[in-house]
Amino acid sequence: MQNADLLMASALLVPAVAGILCLLLKVPAAQKVVVVILTVFLILATTLIVQKGPFSYSPPPLGPLPWDQLLLVGDAALILSFFYFGWRAKNNLILGLTAAQTIAVGFLEYRLSQAHPAGEAIFVLDHLSLVMAVVIGVVGSAIALYALHYMDTHEHHLHLQASRQGRFFAVILVFLGAMNGLVFADSLPWLFFFWEVTTLCSFLLIGHDDTEVARQNAQRALWMNLVGGVAFACGMIVLLDQAHTLSIQKILATSKPSAALLAAMGLVVIGGFTKAAQMPFQSWLLGAMVAPTPVSALLHSSTMVKAGVYLVVRMAPAYEGTWLSQAVAVAGGFTFVATAALAVSQSNAKRVLAYSTISNLGLIMACAGINNALAISAAILLILFHAVSKGLLFLAVGAIEQRIGSRDIEDMEGLLGRMPVTTVVTLVGILSMLLPPFGVLIAKWAAIEAAARAPLVMVMIAAGSAFTVVFWTKWMGRLVSLPPSTQPLPRETMSPFFSIPLVGLAAGAVVLTALVGPVMDLLIEPAVALTYASKGLEAAGGLVASNIGTFPVWPLLIVLAVLLLVAYVASTGREQRVQPAYLCGENVPDLEAAEFRGAADQPQALAMRSYYFEDWLGETRLTKLANPIALVLLVAILGVAFL
Amino acid sequence: MIENTLIAILALVGAPLLGGLLYGVDRRLTARLQNRVGPPLEQPFYDVIKLWAKDQVVPNRSQALYVYGYLGAAMAGTVLFFLQQDMLVVLFVLALGSIELVLGGFSVKSPYSQIGSQRELLQMLAYEPVLLLFAVGVFMATKSFMVASAFTVTQPLLFSLPLVAISLIFVLGLKLRKSPFDTSASAHAHQELVRGIFTEFSGRHLALVEVAHWYELVVILGFVALLWTNPLVVGVGLALVFFLAVIVIDNITARLTWRSVLRLTWLGGALVAIVNLAALYAFGGRFLN
Repeated sequence: MQNADLLMASALLVPAVAGILCLLLKVPAAQKVVVVILTVFLILATTLIVQKGPFSYSPPPLGPLPWDQLLLVGDAALILSFFYFGWRAKNNLILGLTAAQTIAVGFLEYRLSQAHPAGEAIFVLDHLSLVMAVVIGVVGSAIALYALHYMDTHEHHLHLQASRQGRFFAVILVFLGAMNGLVFADSLPWLFFFWEVTTLCSFLLIGHDDTEVARQNAQRALWMNLVGGVAFACGMIVLLDQAHTLSIQKILATSKPSAALLAAMGLVVIGGFTKAAQMPFQSWLLGAMVAPTPVSALLHSSTMVKAGVYLVVRMAPAYEGTWLSQAVAVAGGFTFVATAALAVSQSNAKRVLAYSTISNLGLIMACAGINNALAISAAILLILFHAVSKGLLFLAVGAIEQRIGSRDIEDMEGLLGRMPVTTVVTLVGILSMLLPPFGVLIAKWAAIEAAARAPLVMVMIAAGSAFTVVFWTKWMGRLVSLPPSTQPLPRETMSPFFSIPLVGLAAGAVVLTALVGPVMDLLIEPAVALTYASKGLEAAGGLVASNIGTFPVWPLLIVLAVLLLVAYVASTGREQRVQPAYLCGENVPDLEAAEFRGAADQPQALAMRSYYFEDWLGETRLTKLANPIALVLLVAILGVAFL
Repeated sequence: MIENTLIAILALVGAPLLGGLLYGVDRRLTARLQNRVGPPLEQPFYDVIKLWAKDQVVPNRSQALYVYGYLGAAMAGTVLFFLQQDMLVVLFVLALGSIELVLGGFSVKSPYSQIGSQRELLQMLAYEPVLLLFAVGVFMATKSFMVASAFTVTQPLLFSLPLVAISLIFVLGLKLRKSPFDTSASAHAHQELVRGIFTEFSGRHLALVEVAHWYELVVILGFVALLWTNPLVVGVGLALVFFLAVIVIDNITARLTWRSVLRLTWLGGALVAIVNLAALYAFGGRFLN
């Protein structure tokens, strides 16, 4: 048991302590040392936890106060801080929602003190928790390292008098600890506590730059997440009343849920939907893009928003085969297609990434709603692979933005000729989101096959996938568009704090795909097997197979490698004459000019833009159309419990 | 294993021969419809051989990557199809090839090829959902996504998927870039887009792109043939009828704008397919007993 004490303390408490240390140490160099040590430590702790495998754990009593009273203190502190921030911003919405949450949590605690559910562990680590822990530990550490260099440049650009990095890293590290707590918790009130800590961290980090727009967006993120928090807390009250327990394991073991229990589940699911920024709550995540890019990478794509889908996937067995499950599938599928279409109209790279994140989370929700072994396998695969690829893409966009001073995709035209390493890393990131045989596509393949039994969801996934192809390929098209040149690509220099996370995650996306067999065997299959009798996916001999289809991962990887080799040999082996593009013979003689002879034979620069279909898929138009539909679907999630 | 290797080699050699010949039929038939004699059937092969022998002129050094990517994906998709693998995987791999081609168009700073690439993406936006719906339709009737499952049915898939079959004509037209779906490129270089997405490919690279087309054509027609596998000759005949229909439509229609292409394919293709699937779902996988 000593061992478990140590591991849990390393995963939960040490990051928080290191965070506070960052805040106290005013010297930037010392803060950096703390962050570097903590990231190494966190990766180590995660490895050990995964090695130890599933276990349940309750911390030994700490002094005279029992843990459930400490939880009460923690909840109270959170609520007070929300009140404080609402009061400081004079935001009545935040104040009102915090008041509602106070009542809900207060009532819950009161009922909990009466019910005295005894003998329940606070933490239960199973394979699903371990998948999340890997994401938090590995991707989280990579992003924290990257942030060390990023924030220096960021603050340099902002011309700050005094560095605010202590505050920044403090919140990031506390967040990492809270995230671990969230995915390890089996007691819902504890999960809720960590959930609210991440809400607070998100609020603080979105507002970190303290500009007007940052403050506004932070407040929006806070109130929307508080809506989810209130729904979650109300759900727990009903759950406790109906199931007489708030242990996830025990709730999942309940057979044949009653209508009230399903309604409670619906409330919890809505909590998950707000956290995962599903439509109609997507605006908070889009607003969150004002935060420094490491924040977007860490909280708003690879980890915190995953908590939303984690909760819904975690609870899925409890509402398997019900109308609620179907409603979740449809709502998730709708978010998937609507936000994929919205992403097509965006030229701001971070907004494209944000929409794509929401879209993928929608697909995970849809899988949770389809709710069979195959769909849940797809959901967990997607949680894992999306975190790596999307974390990578955010970091790449951050690096690009700091170099070229823009996050507009149009300004990235021909970036391959200016920042070849970063561009190739970005391309790997996009390709790993989009193409076979990479992990995200394995998940999408499994999702489509699972959805084939739910035709409405299937149609939405088919349409959404097509939009996904369009926005990613358009972006890649800008990156690779080059004027003719006989020069070799320039060398690009990068800080190791950038190159190690970027190249590491890019390699990770490829290697993780190659290792999909062991990943399936060690983490995903056991996670699914916990609650589903049948097998979803099975990996053997370089293939991933369900009982209705086969995905040849290794054969396709080999084909890809051979193609790269052949193309390389072909492009270097034979004499190639580089000629300017065809411009009806009106080219300016200089090969590399990218100009043509315009009116009065004056040279005119060649300028091209991508299509964005503003009038068709524009944000104002489509959002106005889609939000009401999404709202109806959300109401359906609550309502169908009574069918 | 040996059998599979043989099938793969046969597919890699046979598919382009068949595909090239079909393109020859296209050239010839189109000529006849236009009161011309037209070239011999094997003309596409002569074209490719001639292109292969030309000096290599490229707009940039990265073009080879996209060309070989496109061809390689088309070849891989063909092999997977004839090994009767997962239909979704075949579609994904073909889509990988199409994306490579689009990137090839984007990689040159040329207004013609870039607009061609943008429009090719829209063509993909139009036909990708339809192809996925086809695969789902086959799944509903056979309970499997493997191509092999189409050979286990007791009644032709056409009876379960009559409307989906119609939507495949749209896909074929879009894939072949035939009128009225030739927004991203067309057979002749004298339109406002020059040759659209293909403008900047020449010599060996253009030859490889042509060969990739042949592979793709055979796979798409192969999907059509799955609609009637017992005896397979009916399915092959059906595929030929579809192919001829697309050529006739090409010659009697004019090019649409991309908006109309999208609208037409989604309404006439995807929506019709969805109606088919919804009915099939309600009937539990087959209409006739």
